[in-house]
Amino acid sequence: MERWVVVTIIIAAYLALTLTIGLLAGRKSSQSVAGYVAADRSFGLVVMYFVTGASVFSAFAFLGGPGWAYSRGAAAFYILAYGALGMAPFYWIGPRVASLGRKFGYVTQAQLITGRFPSRTLSATIALLSLVAFVPYVTLQMRGAGIVIEAVTDGHVPLWLGALVSYGVVVVYVLAAGAMAVGWTNTFQGIFMVVIAWTLGLYLPHRLYGGIGEMFTQIAAVKPELLTPPGLGANGEPWTWGAYSTFILVSAVGLMMWPHLFMKAFNAKDDDTLRRTVMLFPTFQLFLIPVLLIGFAGVLFTGGAPPSADFILPFMILETNLPSIVVGLFCAGALSASMSTGDALLHASASVLVEDGVTKFVDLSERAQRALMRATVLLTGVVAYYFALDPDSSLVLLLASAYGIISQFAPPVVAALYWRRATTAGVLAGLIAGTATAFFFWQNPGWKPFDMHEGILGLIVHVPVLIAVSFATPVQDEDHVASFVS
Amino acid sequence: MRLKTARTLTGLYFTAALISVTWPGLVPFARIEPLVLGLPLSMAWIAAWIAGSVVVLFLLDRVEKRYRDGGTG
Repeated sequence: MERWVVVTIIIAAYLALTLTIGLLAGRKSSQSVAGYVAADRSFGLVVMYFVTGASVFSAFAFLGGPGWAYSRGAAAFYILAYGALGMAPFYWIGPRVASLGRKFGYVTQAQLITGRFPSRTLSATIALLSLVAFVPYVTLQMRGAGIVIEAVTDGHVPLWLGALVSYGVVVVYVLAAGAMAVGWTNTFQGIFMVVIAWTLGLYLPHRLYGGIGEMFTQIAAVKPELLTPPGLGANGEPWTWGAYSTFILVSAVGLMMWPHLFMKAFNAKDDDTLRRTVMLFPTFQLFLIPVLLIGFAGVLFTGGAPPSADFILPFMILETNLPSIVVGLFCAGALSASMSTGDALLHASASVLVEDGVTKFVDLSERAQRALMRATVLLTGVVAYYFALDPDSSLVLLLASAYGIISQFAPPVVAALYWRRATTAGVLAGLIAGTATAFFFWQNPGWKPFDMHEGILGLIVHVPVLIAVSFATPVQDEDHVASFVS
Repeated sequence: MRLKTARTLTGLYFTAALISVTWPGLVPFARIEPLVLGLPLSMAWIAAWIAGSVVVLFLLDRVEKRYRDGGTG
């Protein structure tokens, strides 16, 4: 049998299995908004561990990570460095958020923020900014899935079809079962991607160089600048310490502020589950080591070069004549990474738009809310698919700035939970000033001091504005504050 | 160990980790040799801080749990 036929069969089997798991999981979910958005707050440790890990690590980690290691070398270590730093504060923030969720019935991040700082403008602003950050993110996941399928089937399954079928499956189980389906499919997909990454990451350096140390010794002899932090920039010149360090900082601050990750706090069964998830997260994160090793294995590979750095992983797999079944399993691993983030994003974008954008202005029954959320999942999927087919869309640029937007959610969250003197006007002013600053420097990269990430520059403006305007406006009611800040 | 001490030490660990994996803490370790478990020194250094964070959070959790169970937190 030809390789692409075997590979296609494995992909089809993988997709069928994912769909089955998603649909079966949905039978356990209640027909309420809390059921659809927060899985009735029912996730135990195993599901929380994989749902968090698999939602964090997307097609970007699986394809972009090796791509960075291959083309920019040590610059890719930033991807390794930020995760544990970003997750750790959630040991305390997570249970606080969960307990407020139980107390007031919150299921989204904006509900928590506007619970403390009541403002429809604030709610709509957060919903809008979330969507602006989400759409390019979903688009890249779809494109990643399509690219991998096209590559491993030698072009027999084109990008448009691969993306359509894999995300068709995602949309069906998210529509049918919401958060419960996202949780159980991510458990399956998370196990899959970790096993595949470790297997390939240890195997390829041995096969091509005779060992990991041997591989790095050989690279060091030819391109020592590649292995020395901060590595190389996109233009092949040495990267700056300012950019490297602020990439880590902004990613650490922004990581858990992504609404699809933040909302996981509302899904957990109890606070101990949340704390243990945070505690164990760094063990999941170490899977980036083999992922980066795969990219480094491509540096001195003599069998040609991929069309672009992001293709290094499928390229290596195909060029090293691995058995067809391994190629198929690798592809399923990459699809797992893409789909497990894509489903969480689609689900969260619908929840955020309806709960924080629409219901603040229009009264809807629970039934109508669920129906509208399903319509939004479909609509977001279609919009992202449209962009995913356009090879020239500048969405990669948009995504690079997504962390600039998302990191601006950190001050409002921290203020809501820990700062008594914060006021609604202060939070709104800070959010607008911070986002505007990030946007300005994203548009004018030449003006950035020390080559710092625009998100960090945004925060440098955001925090003082939040503090100054809060002090200039009247104190919030004491009883109201006491129910949020203990 | 008292709860407050445990929280302060955890905070210090993660502050140290942040400085160690960025400028300026990473600069002295921004080297290839010696390889550690086959990895370049800088990569192994960053991985070690991640592995350490599991241990630190585990120890913190033990202290926090004792205080929660005792009802004095």
